[in-house]
Amino acid sequence: MKDTTIFEHYPVSPQTWDEMYEKGYVRTPYSGVSNFLNQIPVDELNKKEELAKKLFMSQGVTFTVYSSGEGIEKIFPFDIIPRIITASEWDIIERGIKQRLKALNLFLKDVYNDQFILKDGIVPMELIYSCPHYLREMHGLKVPFDIYVHIAGIDLIRDHDGTFYILEDNLRTPSGVSYMIENREITKRIFPDLIPQNNVRSVTEYPSILFKNLVSLSPRQVSNPTVVLLTPGIYNSAYFEHTTLARLMGVELVEGRDLVVDNHRVYMKTTSGLQQVDVIYRRVDDDFLDPLVFNPTSMLGVSGLMSAYRKGNVAIVNAVGNGVADDKAIYTYVPEMIKYYLNEDPLLKNVPTYQLGNADEYKHVMTNINKMVIKKTNGSGGYGMLMGHAASEKEIDEYKSEVEKDPRQFIAQPTISLSTAPCYINGKIQPRRIDLRPFALCGPKGIEIVPGGLTRVALREGSLVVNSSQGGGSKDTWVLSV
Amino acid sequence: MLSRVADSLYWMSRYMERTDGILRMLKINYASSQDDITKFTWRPVLQVFSYLDEDQIEVMNRSSKTVLKYMVVDKDNPNSVMTMITKSRENARSVQDHITKDLWQCLNEFYHLMRDERLYRSLMVEDPVTVLDTLIKQGLLYYGTTEVTMARGESLCFMNIGKYLERAIQTVDILDVKFRDLSADLETPMDTTSWKYFLQSISGYEVYLRSYRSGFEARNILDQTLFNVNFPRSLQYSLILMQRYFERLKNQQSLSSHEEVNFMIGKLKSRIQYSNLQTIADVGLHTFLNEINRDLYAIGNALSQKYFAYS
Repeated sequence: MKDTTIFEHYPVSPQTWDEMYEKGYVRTPYSGVSNFLNQIPVDELNKKEELAKKLFMSQGVTFTVYSSGEGIEKIFPFDIIPRIITASEWDIIERGIKQRLKALNLFLKDVYNDQFILKDGIVPMELIYSCPHYLREMHGLKVPFDIYVHIAGIDLIRDHDGTFYILEDNLRTPSGVSYMIENREITKRIFPDLIPQNNVRSVTEYPSILFKNLVSLSPRQVSNPTVVLLTPGIYNSAYFEHTTLARLMGVELVEGRDLVVDNHRVYMKTTSGLQQVDVIYRRVDDDFLDPLVFNPTSMLGVSGLMSAYRKGNVAIVNAVGNGVADDKAIYTYVPEMIKYYLNEDPLLKNVPTYQLGNADEYKHVMTNINKMVIKKTNGSGGYGMLMGHAASEKEIDEYKSEVEKDPRQFIAQPTISLSTAPCYINGKIQPRRIDLRPFALCGPKGIEIVPGGLTRVALREGSLVVNSSQGGGSKDTWVLSV
Repeated sequence: MLSRVADSLYWMSRYMERTDGILRMLKINYASSQDDITKFTWRPVLQVFSYLDEDQIEVMNRSSKTVLKYMVVDKDNPNSVMTMITKSRENARSVQDHITKDLWQCLNEFYHLMRDERLYRSLMVEDPVTVLDTLIKQGLLYYGTTEVTMARGESLCFMNIGKYLERAIQTVDILDVKFRDLSADLETPMDTTSWKYFLQSISGYEVYLRSYRSGFEARNILDQTLFNVNFPRSLQYSLILMQRYFERLKNQQSLSSHEEVNFMIGKLKSRIQYSNLQTIADVGLHTFLNEINRDLYAIGNALSQKYFAYS
């Protein structure tokens, strides 16, 4: 089927996997969406886009940018055309992520206890001890069910032949899941009937699975343990997500100032006195959790929280110190970890990664710098990256001198083109680069992944950076049941 | 419930109640200002609802446009509708897991409505009454959404305690300023149009017509706004409701704190119940209202100490 209407002049870049098109023809899973879009006049599509914006705004699905003393509400840009993942693609993704997460959990237990993997020389010891997110405070600390990563957001990208690669592991406080849920709600409103017609799997289970897992971690054997979600507060850009999750799970949303530690137990201050807290799903970074142990100037944390944690009187989700496992220099070793702990071959590949701390690899990267992306090992949000193919001589030189200061803190990867998906931009359908972040939940009964995820879009033409802080948007992500 | 959450709900509700009071006051006074500009002054409204000093009031009290701009959209005025709604919504935003999604959306939409450029333009160059009506309606939507969707639990109790305390304070303030402004005493009949507008501004006109047959008299107006339990803005009605919602918190808090605050509310309620126009005249209206006001603020402070303290 060849399109003639709004998809006309849809330019698929060479050497790029387009999610919807293959040699000018629409891929079968997308035919339903393509037919539907072709029936709708352009001004009708504009209205739908307008409606989507209005819905986000009135529901407060926003983040606030503070400038000149007043807050301005912004919405995270949403592209109305859904991204589709077929049942067979999802099968690989699901199995691959479960395998990876299983290994990463074993790795965290290992590095904070016996350190077999270091002693056996699989992961270099100096890499662990030079990682700023490796926390000695976690050494020998027993966590419930040996689970460190309860919630993971693992980012995937697709190369030019459609193969999925793992781009990075987010094992600390991954965000974006509320957009997975809200984007779906918006699609239901703007495209009535389209979701059931296409056999799309539901994502609404996420909060109940998470809640069930959180309850099961309670150190106290009580029928109704107190679970709270710890937020940095209303000024945090992910605040909307915190309130959404708290509401959908029916748990208390607390700030650091609502909690107090007494005799190694955590309590919240309520209108009827102190009430003991059993499980904390925290969205506050390690460094700010407890001013007595970490950053002493933190106003967001709770003094004494780590002592209660060490005593086993409170469960913290995700565990403290997970940053050592999603460090970009450790990332290189995840395939070896899978082999070491599980004796399996990795189902999902890593993007080839060079350690700049290694002299040979450093040399290789610098001679091929035009084909490389250089990143900080502990960076996130798309900050502090160098895109070799697009950078000027001057930028490269400046970045090089930055790298020289401490090469351990940098890695390089060959530029991967990322797959494109059609986006509705300024009345035209245009290809834009995308990635995928499914959310995996790890509980005592195993790992569950809600069929869906957050598809991030680099809305700027030609851009390869999908982070929301760098002009990225998102799409509703459909996983098909057949 | 978290103390911080109770605090936020209480203030969210107080700000909304104040917004409603301000908007109604502005609407009727604006109508009055178009009626008889020679005698009309915004002074009483500004005295009740702003922190301006006498000189600043003098500057703006004859210009309806200036007053409307200041009281509705001025971000620097801590008591403008804009500020009230921003604060109320900010409070709601931090307790979204304790109010219904409908209620949050209602407040969020109110906030976006306030920030809409078109609203400002309509207020300044088109018809202010239309704007005020729209805002009053958005406020009614808040009341209705609360009534229909909110669970009958602790959250609603704190919201209602805030609402009725705010209403009681407003009623007392408005009476005090209005009686002073008109130099009214309880014996002499007064200019009727001004009382008519006053009753309308507190939504008490129809009730008055049905309750009193002898025209507009200061003593009847005072009787209605203080004692009439069928009039939803009367002091006694507000106190009865406040006590009713406070009593529902009995199981939530350690008994001694509850008893302490309950005692204060009950004492004040009894004082109103066993007062009449004669006993008020004996101490003087202004003194009487001042004492009531002091007691109301004391209740607010006790709530803060016993229930909302978290830092």
